[in-house]
Amino acid sequence: MTKLWIKLYRWVNERVHLEDLVEFLGKKYVPVHSHSVWYYFGGVSLFLFIIQVVTGILLLLYYKGSEQLAFESIQFIMSKVEFGWLIRSIHSWAANLFVLSAMIHMFSVYFTKAYRNPREMTWLTGMLMFFLALGFGFSGYLLPWNELAFFATKVGTDIAGVLPIIGEPIMIFLRGGEEVTGATLSRFFGFHVAVLPGIFTVLLGIHLILVQRQGMSEPIDVENSQTAERKTMPFFPNFLLRDLLFWLLVLNLLAILAVFFPWELGKKADLFAPAPAGIRPEWYFMFMFQTLKYIPAQLWIVDGEVFGIMAFGIAGLLWTLVPFWDRKSSRGEKNLLITYSGMFAVMYIIILTILGWRS
Amino acid sequence: MNEHNASPREQGKRDFLKYVLGGGLFAWVVSIVYPLLAYLTPPKQAEVEVNSVKAGKLSEIERDTGTIVRFGNKPVILVRTASGEMRAFSATCTHLDCTVQYQKDMGVIWCACHNGKYDLNGRNVSGPPPRPLDEFKVILQGEEVSISKNA
Amino acid sequence: MEIIRTIPMLLLCLLLPLMASSQSRVDQCLTCHETLGDKPSELFRRDVHFQKGVSCAGCHGGDASAEEMEQAMATEKGFIGVPKGDGISNACARCHSNATIMVKQFNSTLPRNQLEVLSASVHGKLSTTGKEHIAQCTTCHDAHGIVSTKEPGSPVFPLNVTKTCAKCHADAAFMRMYNPALPIDQLDKYRASVHGMKNAHGDVKVAACASCHGSHDIRSASDVKSRVYALNLPTTCGACHANAKYMKGYRIPTDQVKRFSSSVHGKALLEKHDLGAPACNDCHGNHGAAPPGVESISKVCGTCHALNATLFASSPHKKAFDKRRLPECETCHGYHEIVAATDDLLGVSPEATCSRCHRENQNAKGYLAAKTMRHLIDSLESSEKRADSLVADAEQKGMEVSEARFKLRDARQARLQSRTMVHAFNEEKFREVIGAGLNVSSIVAGEGQAAVDEYFFRRWGLGVATLIITIVAGSLYLTIRMIEKTQERQK
Repeated sequence: MTKLWIKLYRWVNERVHLEDLVEFLGKKYVPVHSHSVWYYFGGVSLFLFIIQVVTGILLLLYYKGSEQLAFESIQFIMSKVEFGWLIRSIHSWAANLFVLSAMIHMFSVYFTKAYRNPREMTWLTGMLMFFLALGFGFSGYLLPWNELAFFATKVGTDIAGVLPIIGEPIMIFLRGGEEVTGATLSRFFGFHVAVLPGIFTVLLGIHLILVQRQGMSEPIDVENSQTAERKTMPFFPNFLLRDLLFWLLVLNLLAILAVFFPWELGKKADLFAPAPAGIRPEWYFMFMFQTLKYIPAQLWIVDGEVFGIMAFGIAGLLWTLVPFWDRKSSRGEKNLLITYSGMFAVMYIIILTILGWRS
Repeated sequence: MNEHNASPREQGKRDFLKYVLGGGLFAWVVSIVYPLLAYLTPPKQAEVEVNSVKAGKLSEIERDTGTIVRFGNKPVILVRTASGEMRAFSATCTHLDCTVQYQKDMGVIWCACHNGKYDLNGRNVSGPPPRPLDEFKVILQGEEVSISKNA
Repeated sequence: MEIIRTIPMLLLCLLLPLMASSQSRVDQCLTCHETLGDKPSELFRRDVHFQKGVSCAGCHGGDASAEEMEQAMATEKGFIGVPKGDGISNACARCHSNATIMVKQFNSTLPRNQLEVLSASVHGKLSTTGKEHIAQCTTCHDAHGIVSTKEPGSPVFPLNVTKTCAKCHADAAFMRMYNPALPIDQLDKYRASVHGMKNAHGDVKVAACASCHGSHDIRSASDVKSRVYALNLPTTCGACHANAKYMKGYRIPTDQVKRFSSSVHGKALLEKHDLGAPACNDCHGNHGAAPPGVESISKVCGTCHALNATLFASSPHKKAFDKRRLPECETCHGYHEIVAATDDLLGVSPEATCSRCHRENQNAKGYLAAKTMRHLIDSLESSEKRADSLVADAEQKGMEVSEARFKLRDARQARLQSRTMVHAFNEEKFREVIGAGLNVSSIVAGEGQAAVDEYFFRRWGLGVATLIITIVAGSLYLTIRMIEKTQERQK
């Protein structure tokens, strides 16, 4: 068996000269310190993304993206296709775990200030991917064409439409018309399976290449400490095997969730029926949704909703541009402002999400 | 993996571990591939059934006929009158929930269970039904006929 | 001493004529008009008002004590001449709606709301002139020869009331002016009924127009407050027919209303207010009321239960029942106390209706058919129940079985249709209907069972997958440990 692999390697190597790459990979080391557990979350996010692509392609074989057939095709997948229930529930659960994992990854990078020089581009591509992930979530949520999704999309695109000047054209672009209809479904389907994956893959490629070239960042205090005290482990095979172990556990978690907490389908969307009680966005949008509810209708001359959206927009922009205005971290200094504002962001998100659930 | 420092006992453990890992991996691969192949095999009912909202093409529905269409979990009767109009009603008889049908010779919607009759406006005109049939909206988008709940 | 006794006597003798004269009628109107020989005054002598001491002026106004015409018929004294239109009823109501007059002065127990009630009734609507009610008091009670309604001379006495009502209601030209759709043959029909025939022979107890329709409070039959509105009709009929004391001597039962009220028709009508359910008149007729004859019972029931009647008419039971003079539907289902038919009516057990005529050694062919049919419908019921519980179990477990649920409707429908098909008393036809239902239930049961099995398969599958992953993860972890130990040793 091993002889076969060696033979194969030699054959490819003659043509592509893999030796340099192999040597490079063999020399890669991963720092080991009190915060090195967070290193795994990038890989877990990647794993979950791969899961989404695989299950997504499988679902594509049976899903029909028209107003008349979307709901029924998912019913079909859940009841008639062998293991269809499993693929669909895994896809829905993994979507949520993917966003969660990406958030943990993002916050751990933030708190360890790994975005600092020379890794600004890694952070930017990562942030863009995060926004795309939210886009994946929003567009994918509509695809079953059920009651809750229909109204959640209506509300969500309504909020987008509130922005001054650009809001209305954006809303019409998203909806494929004035209202949420079958045209919206077609559009969201296109975004979800073609546009977003394409852009995401490019960004992911850049992100991974940068990580490979630059290696893992260490927290500032570890970086500043003595070389002798800094422990490392080889990426191959140690860190890789550990990564795979983690991925295996996540896979098992998905299977357990799919069997014991199957993803609901609910009722088919009826364009003419009134909104049912209990519509809310997915948990990763909840904190923003809940915040908008607390803002009064009018703040001086600005409409409350617009104010809220702009505020989140500005916050998001500041967050994305943190490598450029956090000078201290670039110099290798501790920056408590960053740490505290990060903690505030985490607490804010957690508290408002809980409030949103309980209301 | 450096083997020449290991004792025979350790070596034995290593070999056992290799087998367990290898065997486990193989079983794992099978547990992935089997459901995958089963999923890819088309089920007996090859396609999702056309039902509920979409009811077909206008040109395919003959005049003076009625068909039962499944609307979610409930049956709906779609009637095209002799003059060409399209009407849709709940096909659940308001008497004891049997499924009604269109009777061409009587020109009414008829329930076979206890001879209940409804006119082409859904009103109960004869027999035991106590209430008219709920009306549904028929929407024509070009040639496509679709049915929706009456808002 | 004698003077003391004679003075009161003298006084009495003087006063008596005075008292007598004040009691005696001062009705100069009557005196004069009688000499003129007009009909009203002739009738008035027999009038109950005259007997009670009411003069002509009591209704017409004027001064009854005046001898001269100008004084007697003076408008200043309240003379109104011959009242027209609503003036008539208002003149009557001046006394008849006045408690002081009716009770204090005349000690009358008569009701005092007749005009009020009449105005709210259908007869209280405006006539074609637009100036008065359709009916005035005198329309039914006459003007001058009014006697108590309990007296044979009254136009509304039971033996006379039909003629009085028919005066308008049998006049086609007249009724056309008010309600062209209303029939005008009620009297003819009535004469053919049991009530009408007895009435024609002088029976005053039996129902006549006012007994059912009321007198002053007559409303259209579609009016919810009408005594003959469907929901009120059983009570109206029951006013006589449920009164054992009243019905003594007629030799018919008096429990019909009670039985009807507990029947499926009665419950539908009186409790659920389903106007599609029959009231007394739907089976017995209104004006031509009579119990339906033996061969025509299935025709009467068949007006609503058409399918059952058609099937019965071509079934072997039709000839058999006719031969034995058995009333068709009634034999198995009863007539007033018809209860909801359940499967228990069918079969050969002691409670079943079939076993009344069909025994193992008596009418054996039917016995076997009944036994088989009961067995078939029972098997369909249990099959349907089983399918339903399997689907419910799957639903409860969260499995997608909406299609199976939808199919199950057909099984239920087959069972309902078989209950109608029973009336053909044909085992083959029955088996066909049941067969379709059994087919559906078995398919649905299969789908339900498959869903439940799938539920458990998923859990088992998860267990196996978790076991495999645990083994792989465990051995992978040990492998990592081993590698790292080796690496440590190498350093």
